[in-house]
Amino acid sequence: MKGLSYLLITTFKNRFLSLKRKPVLAVLYGIIFISIIFMIVAFQADTTTIKAASYKDIRILYGIIALIGMLYVVVFSSTGISTGSTLFSMADVGLLFVSPISSRKILLYGLLKQMGATIVSAIFILYQIFTLRDNFGIDSKGILYLFIIYAITLFFCQLLSIAIYIYSNGNPFRKNIVRVIYYGIIAIIVISVFVLQLFRGGTLLENGLTLVDNKSFQSIPVIGWGVMFFRAGIEGDILALIVSLLLYILSSMVIISLFTSGNADYYEDVLYSTEVTYNKFQDAKSGKKTFTKNVKVKEKVTGIKKGIGSSTIFYKHLLEKKRESRFLFVDSYTIIASIGAGIASKYISSGVAGYIILAVLIYIQFFGTMLGKLSMELKRPYIYMIPQKSLHKVVAASLTTLLKNVVDGILLFTVVCIITKTSPLINAFLALAYASAGLFFVSFQLLAQRLFGGQPNKIISLTVGLGLFFILLSPGIGFSIFAVSVLPTALTFLGTLPFTFSCVVISAFIFGFCGDLLDKAEYTIGSN
Amino acid sequence: MIDVINVTKKYGKFIANDNLNFKVLPGEISILLGPNGAGKSTIIKSIAGLLRFKGNILICGHKNKSLEAKRLLGYIPEMPVLYDMLTIWEHMEFIARAYSLKNWEGKANELFERFELDDKKNKLGNELSKGMQQKVSICCGLLPNPRVLLFDEPLVGLDPHAIKELKLMLQEYKKDGASILLSTHMLDSVSEFWDGTNIMMNGKFMARRTRKEVLGTGEDLEKLFFDITESKKESKEEVK
Repeated sequence: MKGLSYLLITTFKNRFLSLKRKPVLAVLYGIIFISIIFMIVAFQADTTTIKAASYKDIRILYGIIALIGMLYVVVFSSTGISTGSTLFSMADVGLLFVSPISSRKILLYGLLKQMGATIVSAIFILYQIFTLRDNFGIDSKGILYLFIIYAITLFFCQLLSIAIYIYSNGNPFRKNIVRVIYYGIIAIIVISVFVLQLFRGGTLLENGLTLVDNKSFQSIPVIGWGVMFFRAGIEGDILALIVSLLLYILSSMVIISLFTSGNADYYEDVLYSTEVTYNKFQDAKSGKKTFTKNVKVKEKVTGIKKGIGSSTIFYKHLLEKKRESRFLFVDSYTIIASIGAGIASKYISSGVAGYIILAVLIYIQFFGTMLGKLSMELKRPYIYMIPQKSLHKVVAASLTTLLKNVVDGILLFTVVCIITKTSPLINAFLALAYASAGLFFVSFQLLAQRLFGGQPNKIISLTVGLGLFFILLSPGIGFSIFAVSVLPTALTFLGTLPFTFSCVVISAFIFGFCGDLLDKAEYTIGSN
Repeated sequence: MIDVINVTKKYGKFIANDNLNFKVLPGEISILLGPNGAGKSTIIKSIAGLLRFKGNILICGHKNKSLEAKRLLGYIPEMPVLYDMLTIWEHMEFIARAYSLKNWEGKANELFERFELDDKKNKLGNELSKGMQQKVSICCGLLPNPRVLLFDEPLVGLDPHAIKELKLMLQEYKKDGASILLSTHMLDSVSEFWDGTNIMMNGKFMARRTRKEVLGTGEDLEKLFFDITESKKESKEEVK
């Protein structure tokens, strides 16, 4: 055990010390740490009282906990059926699994490591403390319960995923049993909501909330246990709190005994998932998009077929897009974002819905664009080597990302237009603003590579990118806000034009300034 | 022909290549030998136009970053980097279109046959093992029939048949008048076909020999390599 505790402590110590060599990351962690402390202090010091009557129905929060539980059960069970999850790294596989240390102790080490990672990932909940208090009247104790149940749910689902993998690996019949169980539970929940509506009347939402508030719902593994724990916590029901915790602990013990009992050899079971996780991590580190689904090459969709010189890069991207999505530019992001925009349009006042949705979508678009096709090309040597002018190659490598933003903009704001019943002209200009923000983000990638040289660190690029976005476009954003507020109703559609204009002008300038990027950039991957 | 003139490459304060000068003539295979971190990949990437540097590099008389030079260059990186969503035959098509090649299919088929890839044309890049990916990467580099070839540790990960074929191909390109620069830290693997060798250490050339010189003097290249690389280590330890 000495070796394992040494490994845990030294890894933590070295990770901390490595921040000395990564000042930007250190500053980022510092900002996160200080902002959390600041929020907690401000939360305690803020004595503003909001009337209890203005709080939203607490059952909405129960519903959110149940939905997150449901999402994790589906995601982690699906992973369990395909690759399984892992508590280990490739270094653990190479060095620990072959060492003369008991496999039970190694499992404990993996569990401890995973628990630490899970707690860190739950920190984002702390950023919601003001929203939760203002909307649901949750105090600091309530936040703590929420934090704990989120971490427990995530950790438990990872264990569940490994257990499913061990149980169903290489056995299609067992895989189907697992599918039937988790889809069955979800189907029962959905049917129950409809049955409740049939007998009690009212909206589906109202009946959904009634269901999550029901004690028998709270006995459903993971999905209901989380609600039971949180509700017991904020209501001070010690018995229910202990019962829910015991349910998690006992189930975890059953799963862990499955790893270690009898002939169960979990080394082999986690080996494949560890390799998959490692490859994904390596791909993410080198900026490659990872595809978890198996893409089958169809005979009909082979060959680039068009393009010569620089334009080949564009046609190659089109072929890749066809393989990634049957509908070319319309992919899972378009569908999820459309549903999200549709729901938001329904609940936000129609006068401002379009602008709020635009702001949120642009924020998400930033991250999507940074992992787009141009970014992928810059991580490979081909684009640098092709004997064509740098600007032509850069434009060709950016085209699919730009077109996707145009298509997404049109579809997303068509949904917004239909639901908010606002003028198609306003929504057309919102779509234009969305597409132009995409253009800005593409040009920012060129700027980042030109400024930082080599293949810039993703965290640095993202942080600086968001900062630059606000600095460079703040005049455009300001003018747009001003225009929307002063323009007569008939001309409100022109409100986003200053923003769109500044995006296009700044992007054109960056393209002009950094068009020769490929002649001046550094391809540093694999240098020694 | 490759002409490297006073090339220095720095990463911050670290000097990866220190004022290097050398030539690789047409029909010549030149080897860069050296331990890990000697600066071999850096000079190869600089020649390929992938890095910024101080000094001059000419490819058949053209500046290495010019379009004329790029048309003449073939670069095979140490780590194969393929496109996940393209089949390996589509990699060939991509290179052919991007380099505006005509009647390329025959050459691509020949390369695939020699590297035993002809039955895997419809496999995606990410479905192949590292060794297979390396073969595709070599095919991509050779398809435009470059006059200057840069290989960064090309034999690592290849199976014996592919190593044999690649060695044969190198001889063929040499006969055809191409200039070939190849980095390795495995002397044995290249002993039968090099014309000139440069032993690198800490970004500098510590020794240079031609095959004629070595044959004339009977010098043991392996001994020379270890004398250079290990004496450096020893002198560092003495300083400590």
